[in-house]
Amino acid sequence: MNKTKTLALTVGFFFVLAFLAACSAVQQGADILAGTGKISESDRKAIVRTSEAVRSSFADITEEEEYYIGRGVAALILSRYPVYDNQALTDYVNTVGKAVVYSSSRPEIYAGYHFLVLDTEEVNALSAPGGFIFISKGLLRRCRNEEMLAAVLAHEVGHVCARHGLQSIKKSRLIDAFSLIGQEAAKRYGPQQLAQLTTIFEGTLGDIVDTLILRGYDRKFEYEADELSVKFTAATGYTPQGLVDFLRTMVGDSSAVSGKGWFKTHPTSEQRIERVKTQAAALGGSLVEEPARTKRFHQTLAGLK
Amino acid sequence: MKRPIRSTLVVSLFVLVLCLLAAETLIVKVQSTSLRKNPKFYAPALLTLGAGEKIEKISSQEGWIQVRTSKGAVGWIHSSAVQVQKFDLMAMDAKMKTQASASEVALAGKGFNKQVEESYRAKHGEVSFVWVDKMLLIKIPDSRVEEFMRQGKLGEFRGAR
Repeated sequence: MNKTKTLALTVGFFFVLAFLAACSAVQQGADILAGTGKISESDRKAIVRTSEAVRSSFADITEEEEYYIGRGVAALILSRYPVYDNQALTDYVNTVGKAVVYSSSRPEIYAGYHFLVLDTEEVNALSAPGGFIFISKGLLRRCRNEEMLAAVLAHEVGHVCARHGLQSIKKSRLIDAFSLIGQEAAKRYGPQQLAQLTTIFEGTLGDIVDTLILRGYDRKFEYEADELSVKFTAATGYTPQGLVDFLRTMVGDSSAVSGKGWFKTHPTSEQRIERVKTQAAALGGSLVEEPARTKRFHQTLAGLK
Repeated sequence: MKRPIRSTLVVSLFVLVLCLLAAETLIVKVQSTSLRKNPKFYAPALLTLGAGEKIEKISSQEGWIQVRTSKGAVGWIHSSAVQVQKFDLMAMDAKMKTQASASEVALAGKGFNKQVEESYRAKHGEVSFVWVDKMLLIKIPDSRVEEFMRQGKLGEFRGAR
């Protein structure tokens, strides 16, 4: 009996020792990616080998990569639309946006969420990965209160939270990128690899911009963003009816026949209303819009030219 | 004979517990975020944490994690700002792996990064990043959002008079 106990304890002891040895080996592996040792940036030296599988899908895109992809997509959106540069309106839209972001499923993102108004009468709202969100003047004019604006912004925040933009990158392109990135140890790329990676980056931006501006997302993503919008706005304290009300104003809108912007890339409002109504009803909450919110909405938008 | 075994066991268990606690290390994955006094966005910020910083989890509640920094500061951080640091005991032989995982790439600042953007911009002079950079400068202080929510009876101010 005593012998068995001793044996068990000894085995246990060696198990712990082996575990510790392994831990230290893991720490030693930290330099592997460092390669030339040029990773410098403070704590980034502390690389450890991880148990995660090698990268294979959009879900493996890092926060920082998402940010750089988003910057590129945002720059391309802004090369098609001018900016409506009105400080008071920009601040207001960003404050409503931020309030909604607080109650979203992903409030913290690499460089935060930012909102900009586009100087076009086309009805449109777009979001690039990494939290770059755009809303057109034409769409703002069709919102009657803060609840509707919050709902539209929350729909875009929903696309960002669920990483819908990144899911429009062609799978083969991602695999090329991951394999190229994985081969090189140094942080800075050599000329040949940089050229290859830049081509893949161009293609990546193209995949996303085509989806956002020309093709539109798969319907299931639009419905998911609607669902998230209802959820986020209700959690913020807005009436969950905001999106239903906005979609209703869009039914039979004169600009719908233009088939541009929002109308080109989204399912029809009629198709969306029924789903959203059910989701809003399920959440309950107040159906009354707060007068203080509607008042500040009208005050801010009064200056819209 | 009995005593040394018992103390060995105690020490081993102690070390094992330490190792398990170490597994609760979190890494900041956003560019910068605040360590907050209370678990809400407009709570006072105690200090700023940057990408790659390691912090230790103490407890959690509704999407927020109470953490301790390497310098001993204690506060709250939102769970979407961090990732769990994982150890892989099976990946000891570096030669076995030829591709990097997402967290390795993140920690090394590799992948689509500043260098790739610069290369893209050199090739596409017609694409302007001026407004992208201006957009990133739009900052609404958390205190202002709090006031906005209070005025609009949103969030925790719902139903307030």
